[in-house]
Amino acid sequence: MQLSRLASSAALGLLALLALTAAAATPALAQTGVVQGQVVDAASMRPLSNVQVLVEGTGIGLLTNSSGRYVLLNVPAGEHTVQATLIGYDPASQTVTVAPGQTATADIQMSSTAISLNEIVVTGVGAETERRALGTSVEVLSAEDFALAPVQSVDQLLQGRVAGATVNATSAQPGTGSLINFRGVSSVFGAQTPVIYVDGVRVDNDQSTAAGTGGEQSSALSDLLTSDIERIEVTKGGAASTLFGSDAATGVIQIFTRKGTPGAPRITARVEQGIEMPELKYIFDMGLIFPERVESGEITDRFMRDLYFKNGRAQNYYVGVSGGTADVTYSVSGRLEDLGGTQPRDASTNYSVRGGLQASLTENFTLQFSGSYVRHNFERLYNGSAISDPLTTFEVGDALFFSGASTLHEALDIFLMPQIDEGVNRFIFSAGTRWNIRDDLTFRMTVGTDNRNNQQRTYQPIGFTPGEPTGNLRRWDRNFTSVSLDGGATYAWESTDGVIGSSTTVGVQGFREDESVIFGNGRTFALPGTFDFDAAAVITAGEGNVEVFNGGAYVDEQVSLWDKLYVGAGFRVDAGSSFGDNIEYEFYPKVTGAYILSDDVDLPFVDELKIRTAYGQTGKFPGAFLKDRTFSATSFRGESAPRFSNPGNADLRPEKTSTIEGGIDAALWNNRIGLDLTAYEARTTDALFDVPRQPVTGQGIQQENVGEILNRGVELALNLQVLNTQSLAWSVGATFNYNHNEVTDMGGVPDFSAEGSQKRVTGCWYEEVEGDEDTCRGGPVGAWWLTMPVDTNGDGLPDGSERNFTGSFPVPDKSGSANTTISIGNDLTVSALADWAGGHYVFDYGSVWATFNGIYRRELVRCGMEEGAAEGCAYAFPVQYNADGTERGKYSQNRARSGFLYDGDYFKLREVSLRYVLPEDWAGRLGAARATAYLNGRNLWIWSKNQMIDGELNGLSGGGLRLGGESSITLSPNRTYRFGVEVVF
Amino acid sequence: MKSKSKSIFGRSGRFTAAALLAAAAVAGCDAINPTQVNNPTTTDADLAEATNPTEALLPGLRAQFARMINAYVVATEVISDNYSVHGTGLNQTMDEPGTVTPDIFNGTGTSASGVYWNVQELRALADFVIDEIAPNDAEAPPALVAEAHYYRGMAYLTMGEVFSHVPHEEDGAPQPADVALTKAVSDLQAGAGFGPQANAALARAHRLLGDAGAAASAANAVLGATPNFIFAPPYDEQFLTNTSVAFLVLRALQEMQPLPRLDFLDPKYTERDSPIPIAKAEEMHLILAEAALASGNMTEAQSQLASAITLAGSRGVVSFDDIDERRNADLSLRPRSKEIMIRADADSPYRAGLVLDRPSDDLQIPNISGTSLSADSVSSLGSADELWHALWLARQEILFLEGRRMADLGIKLPIMLREIDQNDNINEGDPGTVPIIPGYIPASPQYAMDIYSPLDLYDGVDPGSPLVKSEVTVHVDMNKVLVANNASPF
Repeated sequence: MQLSRLASSAALGLLALLALTAAAATPALAQTGVVQGQVVDAASMRPLSNVQVLVEGTGIGLLTNSSGRYVLLNVPAGEHTVQATLIGYDPASQTVTVAPGQTATADIQMSSTAISLNEIVVTGVGAETERRALGTSVEVLSAEDFALAPVQSVDQLLQGRVAGATVNATSAQPGTGSLINFRGVSSVFGAQTPVIYVDGVRVDNDQSTAAGTGGEQSSALSDLLTSDIERIEVTKGGAASTLFGSDAATGVIQIFTRKGTPGAPRITARVEQGIEMPELKYIFDMGLIFPERVESGEITDRFMRDLYFKNGRAQNYYVGVSGGTADVTYSVSGRLEDLGGTQPRDASTNYSVRGGLQASLTENFTLQFSGSYVRHNFERLYNGSAISDPLTTFEVGDALFFSGASTLHEALDIFLMPQIDEGVNRFIFSAGTRWNIRDDLTFRMTVGTDNRNNQQRTYQPIGFTPGEPTGNLRRWDRNFTSVSLDGGATYAWESTDGVIGSSTTVGVQGFREDESVIFGNGRTFALPGTFDFDAAAVITAGEGNVEVFNGGAYVDEQVSLWDKLYVGAGFRVDAGSSFGDNIEYEFYPKVTGAYILSDDVDLPFVDELKIRTAYGQTGKFPGAFLKDRTFSATSFRGESAPRFSNPGNADLRPEKTSTIEGGIDAALWNNRIGLDLTAYEARTTDALFDVPRQPVTGQGIQQENVGEILNRGVELALNLQVLNTQSLAWSVGATFNYNHNEVTDMGGVPDFSAEGSQKRVTGCWYEEVEGDEDTCRGGPVGAWWLTMPVDTNGDGLPDGSERNFTGSFPVPDKSGSANTTISIGNDLTVSALADWAGGHYVFDYGSVWATFNGIYRRELVRCGMEEGAAEGCAYAFPVQYNADGTERGKYSQNRARSGFLYDGDYFKLREVSLRYVLPEDWAGRLGAARATAYLNGRNLWIWSKNQMIDGELNGLSGGGLRLGGESSITLSPNRTYRFGVEVVF
Repeated sequence: MKSKSKSIFGRSGRFTAAALLAAAAVAGCDAINPTQVNNPTTTDADLAEATNPTEALLPGLRAQFARMINAYVVATEVISDNYSVHGTGLNQTMDEPGTVTPDIFNGTGTSASGVYWNVQELRALADFVIDEIAPNDAEAPPALVAEAHYYRGMAYLTMGEVFSHVPHEEDGAPQPADVALTKAVSDLQAGAGFGPQANAALARAHRLLGDAGAAASAANAVLGATPNFIFAPPYDEQFLTNTSVAFLVLRALQEMQPLPRLDFLDPKYTERDSPIPIAKAEEMHLILAEAALASGNMTEAQSQLASAITLAGSRGVVSFDDIDERRNADLSLRPRSKEIMIRADADSPYRAGLVLDRPSDDLQIPNISGTSLSADSVSSLGSADELWHALWLARQEILFLEGRRMADLGIKLPIMLREIDQNDNINEGDPGTVPIIPGYIPASPQYAMDIYSPLDLYDGVDPGSPLVKSEVTVHVDMNKVLVANNASPF
């Protein structure tokens, strides 16, 4: 807690410092004039709002209002260039001469671009590079893309907005994070979550940061907030990620926060009020589960709807100030978000402050700082497989049994006794410098840290029957610290005729990560109300520590020819603390090429066409200490009792993913259509499999580089400007992603389970020639492997049970999104976003559980509740026969698990937003420059192929792989409506 | 701006500053070396530093021995007719031994699925101590080396008792149970210095090998030294608990529910650290009785059986606050009233006193040995078959929850799937990869060894539901089946 206070103080200090900077940076009056004007779309003459207008060299700038107008005060007399930039448009400028005390006008027309080839990206290329030169696919989301989006965290923000990404929520509970996957499952150990950088700092992206509460896990993604993000760059592995070495096989997400833009202090205040509503599509309530108690009048068939679920209030408050001079810019903000939750005990509160500062100490020397502090407090409920989970226990019919109560009302009171509270303090700090040593030589360096500590307390009070009737307190403290360093120098050269250009970057990049977990348990309390271990009769404790270093040096060369042909090559040499003793370093090469074909060839309807291709390697380093043979020890009868632990592997090295990709970026039909198409093949070699030693050795599992995994797929992003008139603009967009995932080599290792016993890694998913194992095709990672009825004696009747592959898998192989935006006049904008995923199957653990109570949920839902209807309904429980053909009864659940696997296809209307810029005189009455009112909805509608569980969720995440697709009774993300007003002063 | 720049970073100043920074960085590298990591667990290098490695590793063997006992007691009791599974924590397939497959025993924990794993880990850890550590440890106390031999002997003994064939070394072909038992005899003889428990285990090993003379000799050696001998080391209340207590007492589902005629013996282990008897004098008497019966010495058999029963009766009971409502998985109530009369099969007489009133805050339960037999009743048994039946029943009741019953039924478990997968010398279908189920084990109806009738003993499922039927018939008397099939190894 001392650390949290320190972090709070630091954040407040930063806020104060930056405010002072803002005051000091206000430019002094001199011989000045005014520049005003209007920025419009060149094609439709529609005024463009939110255009960044800047008087070059002065630091004076602001955003245009809803009429596209701007007024810049205190512009020094003389001739100036006014620049205008807006995402989706080519930059434009206008020269204007300002006379002292006079007003000059500079109207600007901007041309929209369907693809932004001039956009600058930095991820994966060592130095700032125009998109036109990239041979790889890099997704860029700008603030415009998600302004005022009704999301709490970065993972939610990415949902539906990144082509080629599958982003699935795990549940409705606060503190959980989404499963993010780029280009398929490339590894069978650890989560597929991409590496995330915030202002150059590698941040905690762990998806399991606290003790489990039945399946749904706390995630470090949930407190990566969305305030003041300026830009997000996403690389999905391959050559775009090569320079990150052994750390980027699952892709890289780089988040850049705002540092402010020159201009007078601009204060933005935002107030949102809303409501969260539970998504009850997959909740069947007590009429289905306890019909006899409904019939007797004890409860209604809306018992859970009336007494358990609720609508929660959502509040979000934000205030920020930004501005600065040509030399110093700043952006400071604070945010408070409070969500009431839709179940008892699942409220959450987020407080955050952040600041960004950029200062040019000299013309050539720039410093950047950013820092943020987040405090996230939330409650949790037991869930998933926990018998203390109120929702599941009621929905599967165990509420009375596990509570010991005689009525469901009493049972509900008992199940709501436990308190699970979690608090997160997170401080991210980044400092960077850029030194233009010469015109052609630039040096830059970024150092930073992410410190995240969380404490979870799980209290089962005295009298809570399912766990410990005498009370139980469990505490879990995790402290995570990462330190990152990235530095490099870029030498740029261009031939005098401009035909050849070269950019050479040499750099180092690395990080160190320290994770410490301390957990304790206090059992048996004499008196109620005790929240300290001291009072417990039995206290146990333990800890876990992980330390990892990974770093390397890289060289990146980019050559441009005639500004239309680009060739790049580079490599990274990497070393890490997790490499085996026999492995000194790893080498990751890359080669890229891009060609602006449209510069040479006129094609009908084609405005711009870029062809690109790339080959690159990335890696994923092994587990922290898995190279060592170790002995662990536990306490036993007062002695320290050692046993074998990790077998050890001196040859342990990172697994390598080699990706070859090709694609096109095209602007078509007068820049009305934008197309981004990429095809890739990524082959992970030396894949790290957990290879079991023979049990006769007494040794457990050892990570070894033995496997090979193939991912092949296409990614498509399409944008279409349907209408673009002065009064109406309408655009639609869509993304599509297909991935084929296959284990192509098991390395001699037999099939093994991945993330629980029902998902399997296999080299023989099916035989192309039946009966010939030599024609086996490997399965996707985590192929479903379930018990199913079989006919063992050939009489055509199922009499036995075997575990077999069902031919399905838990990870969607197809996903996509659709979006549309309609702007009516200058002030009203309506937008919608939907996403979908399919090709996967999901496992309904809740219905399995219910069978223990004689409740056949699937049959009841599908076949109805009429007397006898479920009896004759054999969806999950076909009749089992004896060898002589006589009926034996229905299959039990553990012998016919395949009956609980459903098609997971879903489509979700994720967001709908209505935004209205209030008339200027209304805003003026508030003393504001601009005021916007908006109404947002999120998670508004679900279509799914199966009626039993949400195909998106992952309520029963077992191990670290986190493939998803397995849920108990898990609540879908809440339906949320929010009304907000944003005022800019 | 340029003038400002010069004042801070003049050309020479820039280089000086850069040089100073570089020098400081290089100098500081040692102090803040970011590549230095520290593995928090003991590595080979750390182990080499241990001053008394044999002594340091012995507690590990003790703990592993406890894990092995945990796993095989739960697995074998559930697979036998003693217990049936009602709930989610244990695999119900084990209630139908004929359907058991290697993947069911693929766990590495101390529950039922870990039986194979824990036996092999104990053997391998003992190998490590006996073959690698102790010979290089000048300070290795002989008593501790003997103790290590005892644990390895117990690992081999368990292999021979629970599995038909098991590999004994990496890439080794599965060895038949007799080979494991022979190795057990060798190690247990080397472990004699650890105490009478080594002789007690020898008696069991010789019995399983069918050597009545050697078994009786070892049994007599135990009884001669300590007539009421018992070896039952406790579990650890916090860190390594008695696993069966979870399924008998602690878990809300109380997955392990006893055969109704054994209700009076359940749960036997009531606390997290309750010891499981590893060996006791009663078993020695029962081995002597069996040897006598096999050789036709009825009088000696009666005498030894009576001694076992008398000793069991003298072990006493513990008082226990039992909240077990005796429910099936569908929440219906199992026999839980003392008024209930039970017969072992449809041809047997009803017997009273086998079921206790539950739940109860003062349940009197035998925690070492208990039996429904009396010494007097044994002396009145006239035929060899009656005595054999009494012997099997006495073994079932007195050695209840100690892991003997499955072997008495002649059932052998398959090797862990992981071993089959990883060892090139073991293929599916090889000896040891499928369960051995004697033909006399009933395969039908489902769960034949565990079922009884009628099921609707109570009027409802609520805790207060009144008893409406008080006579219960167990589907099959497996002791009768064992007699009929001469199941004794002697």
